[in-house]
Amino acid sequence: MSFKKGSVAAHVVMGLLAIYFLLPFWWLLVAATKNNDGLFQSSSLWFSDFQLIDNLKLLFAQNDGVYLTWLRNSAFYAVVSGVGATVISALAGYAFAKLRFPGRNALFALLLGLIMVPATALVLPTYLLMSQANMVDTIWAVILPSLLNPFGVYLLRVYVHDSIPDEMLEAARIDGAGEFRVFRSVALPAMRPALVTVLLFSMVASWNNFFLPLVMLSDDQLYPLTVGLRAWYMSAIMGNGGAATFNVIVTGALVAIVPLIAAFLMLQRYWRGGLTIGSVK
Amino acid sequence: MNIGNFSARRVSRRSVVAAVAATALALTGCSSGGDDDKPAEKPTGTVTVKVWAWYPEFKAVVDQFNATHTDVKIEWTNAGTGQDQYTKLQTALKAGKGAPDVVMLELQEIPTFALTKHLVDLGKYGANDVKGDYAGWAWSQVSSGEQVYAIPVDAGPMAMMYRDDIFKKYNLTVPTTWDEYKAQAEKLKAASGGKSFMTDFGANDGGFMTGLFWQAGAKPYTYDIANPSSIGVNVNSAEAKKVFEYWEGMVNNGLADTTAFHTTDFYNGLGSEKYATYLAAGWGPGYIQANAGGAAGKWKVAPLPQWTAGANAQGDWGGSSFAVTDQAKYPDIAAKVAIEIFGAKNTEAWKIGIDKAFLFPTVTPVLESDAFTGKTYDFFGGQKVNEVFVPAYSAIGELDWSPFNSYNFNQLTTNLGQAIEKKTSWTASLDAAQENIKTYATQQGFKVQ
Amino acid sequence: MTEVQTSPAAAPAAAGPSEKTGRRSHRREAAAGWLFVLPFAVLLVAFLLLPMAYAFKISLYRSTLIEGEVFAFFDNYKQAIDDPLVREGVVRVLIFGLIQTPVMIGVALLAALLIDAATSRFSRFFRLAAFVPYAVPVVIGTLMWGFLYSDSLGPFSGLGIDFVSSDTVLASLGNITTWQWAGYNMIVLYAALQGLPRETYESAKIDGAGEVQIALRIKTPMISSALVLATLFTIMGTLQFFTEPLILQPLNPGAITQHYTPNVYAYNQAFSFQQYNYSAAISFLLGAVVFIGSYIFLFATRKRSALQ
Repeated sequence: MSFKKGSVAAHVVMGLLAIYFLLPFWWLLVAATKNNDGLFQSSSLWFSDFQLIDNLKLLFAQNDGVYLTWLRNSAFYAVVSGVGATVISALAGYAFAKLRFPGRNALFALLLGLIMVPATALVLPTYLLMSQANMVDTIWAVILPSLLNPFGVYLLRVYVHDSIPDEMLEAARIDGAGEFRVFRSVALPAMRPALVTVLLFSMVASWNNFFLPLVMLSDDQLYPLTVGLRAWYMSAIMGNGGAATFNVIVTGALVAIVPLIAAFLMLQRYWRGGLTIGSVK
Repeated sequence: MNIGNFSARRVSRRSVVAAVAATALALTGCSSGGDDDKPAEKPTGTVTVKVWAWYPEFKAVVDQFNATHTDVKIEWTNAGTGQDQYTKLQTALKAGKGAPDVVMLELQEIPTFALTKHLVDLGKYGANDVKGDYAGWAWSQVSSGEQVYAIPVDAGPMAMMYRDDIFKKYNLTVPTTWDEYKAQAEKLKAASGGKSFMTDFGANDGGFMTGLFWQAGAKPYTYDIANPSSIGVNVNSAEAKKVFEYWEGMVNNGLADTTAFHTTDFYNGLGSEKYATYLAAGWGPGYIQANAGGAAGKWKVAPLPQWTAGANAQGDWGGSSFAVTDQAKYPDIAAKVAIEIFGAKNTEAWKIGIDKAFLFPTVTPVLESDAFTGKTYDFFGGQKVNEVFVPAYSAIGELDWSPFNSYNFNQLTTNLGQAIEKKTSWTASLDAAQENIKTYATQQGFKVQ
Repeated sequence: MTEVQTSPAAAPAAAGPSEKTGRRSHRREAAAGWLFVLPFAVLLVAFLLLPMAYAFKISLYRSTLIEGEVFAFFDNYKQAIDDPLVREGVVRVLIFGLIQTPVMIGVALLAALLIDAATSRFSRFFRLAAFVPYAVPVVIGTLMWGFLYSDSLGPFSGLGIDFVSSDTVLASLGNITTWQWAGYNMIVLYAALQGLPRETYESAKIDGAGEVQIALRIKTPMISSALVLATLFTIMGTLQFFTEPLILQPLNPGAITQHYTPNVYAYNQAFSFQQYNYSAAISFLLGAVVFIGSYIFLFATRKRSALQ
C-alpha cells in the first residue's frame, strides 16, 4: 500500500521533470512549423499554419545554401576531431597504463594537473599563436586544438589498467610481436567499449564547440553550425537593416540538434557505460 | 617495422600541416602588409579583391560587379554583423594577416581603424575626385583634409515613422516638436488605457542615442585623425543631458517603452499596436517592412520632431562605408573597388541597393534621382518616404567620432541600461560615461581636453 | 565501491610489465612508450603549455592605443584585482555557483534516485528525456531559451514576468544550465547507484525502512564520491560561465553587462576593446583561481573523491 503511494508520487515527480526537460523541444518543434508572422501571432505551444516544408526550403536556400555547408563542416570537424582525439588518447592512455618509459610519471602528473585548466582562458593566446603559424581561418585552427583530450587519456588509462592483464600483453611479446603490434592486435580490441565512449564524447564536444571556432574563423564557409546559427541570430538581433528571419533560425536550430539526439538514442549503451567509467572508478 | 610505420605516419601529418600553412599563406597573399607609399607591382591577369561586408542582398551586387569587370574580381565574405566583424578585423590586423582588402566599416568606426594606421589613404588613389558626389557632412565623416579613409556608402538620417491607424483612432496629430510629441504621447496613453506606447527607446544602441544627441547639437567628441593623440570628450554636454532628461521623463511616465531594439519583443511591438511611432533611420523603411509585414499600409513617415519650433535640426543613426586595409596587395585596385562598388555611376548596383537592400544612398546623384526620391512604398500606403529622409540627410551637421568607439558605445548603453534597470537618473549615467571615457582615454595615452 | 586509482607517483611498479624482460627490451619499451605518447605530448605542449606561457608573457605587458606596448611587470594583475568590474563579476559567479550547484545537483540526484528506485517503462523514458538536453549544443540551447523567455514568442508571456530584467536574469541563466546539465549529472549519479551492492538496502528494506529513507540514508552517502566529482565539475563550470550570458546579452545589455562574468569581461576586453594584455591577466587570474580552487576542493574531500 505505502509502496504504491510512493511509486505514484515518484511517477508524478518524474512526469513533472520530464515536462520541464522536454517542453523546449516541443516548443522548438512547433515553432519550426510556423512562418515568421505565425511565430509572433499564434499560440506558442500549438501548431497553426503548417509551414515546416517551406521553412526547410528557406533554411537551405538562405545565403546560397550556406546552412548545408555548416552542417557538413560540423560533421567533418566532429568526425576528424573525434577520431583523431580517440586515436591519440588510445595510444597515450595505453602507454601510460602499460609501458614503462622515462618521464612517464611526470607527464601523467602534468596531465592530471592540466585537466582542470579552464579552456576558455586559453582561446585568446591559442589564437595569437595560431596566427603566427598562419593557421587562423583554416580548418586546422579548429581541428588541431580539439585533438587534445586529457580526460580521454585519463579514462583510457584507467580502463586499460583495470581490464587488460599484463600477462595477455606479455604472451604476445613472447610470440615476438613488436610493441605496436601488441597494441594493435591485443590491446585495441580489448579497449573497444571504452574507445567508442571516448569517440562519442569527443565527437559531441566537437559538434558543440563554439568559442574556439568563433574566434578562429572569419570565413563563413568554414563555420560549424553553432557559430553560423549564432551569426544569423546576431544579424537578426543587431538589426543589419535586412529581414530578421526568426523562422529560419528556429528551423536551423531544430535541424542542428536532430542528428545528435538520434545518435544518443541509438548509442545509449555506450554513453551510459562511458559515464560509469568517468565517474566512479 | 612497426615503429617505422608509426613514424611515417607522423611525418605525413607534419607535411600535411606544412602544406596547409603554405596554402594559407598563399591564399591570404601575405606580404606582411602592403606599404601604401610604394607603388605596387603591376598585377597580371584578373586580380581578386577580398571584401568583407554584411549588407543585405550584397551577393547580387557582387555578382553584378563581377559580371561587368574582367580585370577585377570581388571575393565576398560575410564575416559577421557589426561588432562581430570588427572583432575579426582587429584580430586579423593585429596578427598581420587574414584581413580582407576592402572592408565595410560603419562611419563611427573609421577613426578606430585609422588610428592604428591600418587603413590605406584613398586620397592617393583618386578618392578626392569623387568628393563632389557626397554631402559635406558625409565626406567629413570619412576624411581628414586630403586624406580619405573610406568611401561612404549609406547613411541613416533620422525621421519619425508613425502608425497612421493608431493616430486616427485616438485623434492624435502628427507632432512637429518634442513638446508636441510628449503631449500626443500623454493623450495616447490615456486614450488607449496604457495599451500603446508612443515609442520604444532601446537602450542597447549607442548609434540611436548619438543620433538624437546629434540632432540636439551635442558634440560628444572632438577628434581629428591628423592630430591623433589629442581628444576632447564631452559626452555629458547640456545638449545630451537635455535629450536624456526628456526621455527619462517619457519612460518614467509610461509614455515610452524600453525593450531592447531588434529583439523579438521589439519586432512584435512594431507589428502589433504596441508602438505608435518608431524613431527610425534612412535604412528603416526596408527594415520595418521586412520585419513588421503584418502592419503593412498602416505606417507613415514624418520628419523628426524638433527641439525648437520651425527649426530643421537633424541627426544620423548608422551608415557605412568601404575602406581599404593595409593588407591589400594592390591598394590601387582595392581603392578602385571601394570607390566603384556603390559609386555614383554604378546605377545597377544601386538598383539592388535601393529596391532590395533598402540602403539609403550617400552618393548625391543617386540620392537625388527620381528612382530614389520618387519611389513609392506600398508598405507606407504608397507614400514617397524618401521625400522626408532626403531633406533630413541634407540638413545633418558635422560630428566627430572617437578612435575607440566600441568602448564609448558600450559605456553609453551599459550605463543607461543600468539606470533604466535600477531606476536611477539618466543624466547621471551620462556623467558616469563621461568619467569612464575620460579615464580610459587617459589610460590609453591620449591628451584629454 | 570507490576503488581509488593509484596515484601517479605510486603507479609504476603496479602498472609496469614483469621483470623478466631484459635491458634491450627495456630500451625498446621506453622508445615505444615515448612514441605512443608523443602525439599527445606534442598537443599538450602546443595547445596547453605554450598558450599558457604565452598568455602569461603578454599579461606582463601593457599596451595603449597611443604609446604601444611596454613591459609592466604585474601592473595588469594589480589593475585587475582593483577593478570593481572584475570584482562584480567574481562575486556574481560565486553567488551563482553557490545557488546553482546545489539546485542542479539536487535535481540530478532526485532524478537519479527516482530512476534507480522505479523500474517502470516510464522511468526508462524519463531517463532519456532528462538526458536529451545534454545533446543540444549550449549555443542552441541558449538561443532556444532566449526565445522561450521572450514575451512575444514564448509560452510564459501570460505570467507577466520579465525573464531578462536585472532581478531575474541570473535565475533565468541558472535555469538554462540546470536544464542542460542536470540530465548529464543524473546519468553520472545513476551509474554510481547502479554500481552499489543491492544487498545493503535489501536488508534495510526487510528491516522496514521506506524507499525515501533508503534513498537518503543509504544510497546517497554511498555515492558520495560521484557527488563530489559532479559538484566539482559544476563549480568549475559556473566560475567559467561564458556562453550563455554572451548569447543572451543582446536581449538586455543593461542587465547582462559586458562585465557580467569574469570570462565575458575578459572576452570583451580582448575582442571588443583590443586590450589583449589586460584580458590575458584577467584570464590568467581566473584560471589560477579555478585551478587552485579545484585542487583545494579535491583535497578537502579527498576521502570521498575518486580523482586522486
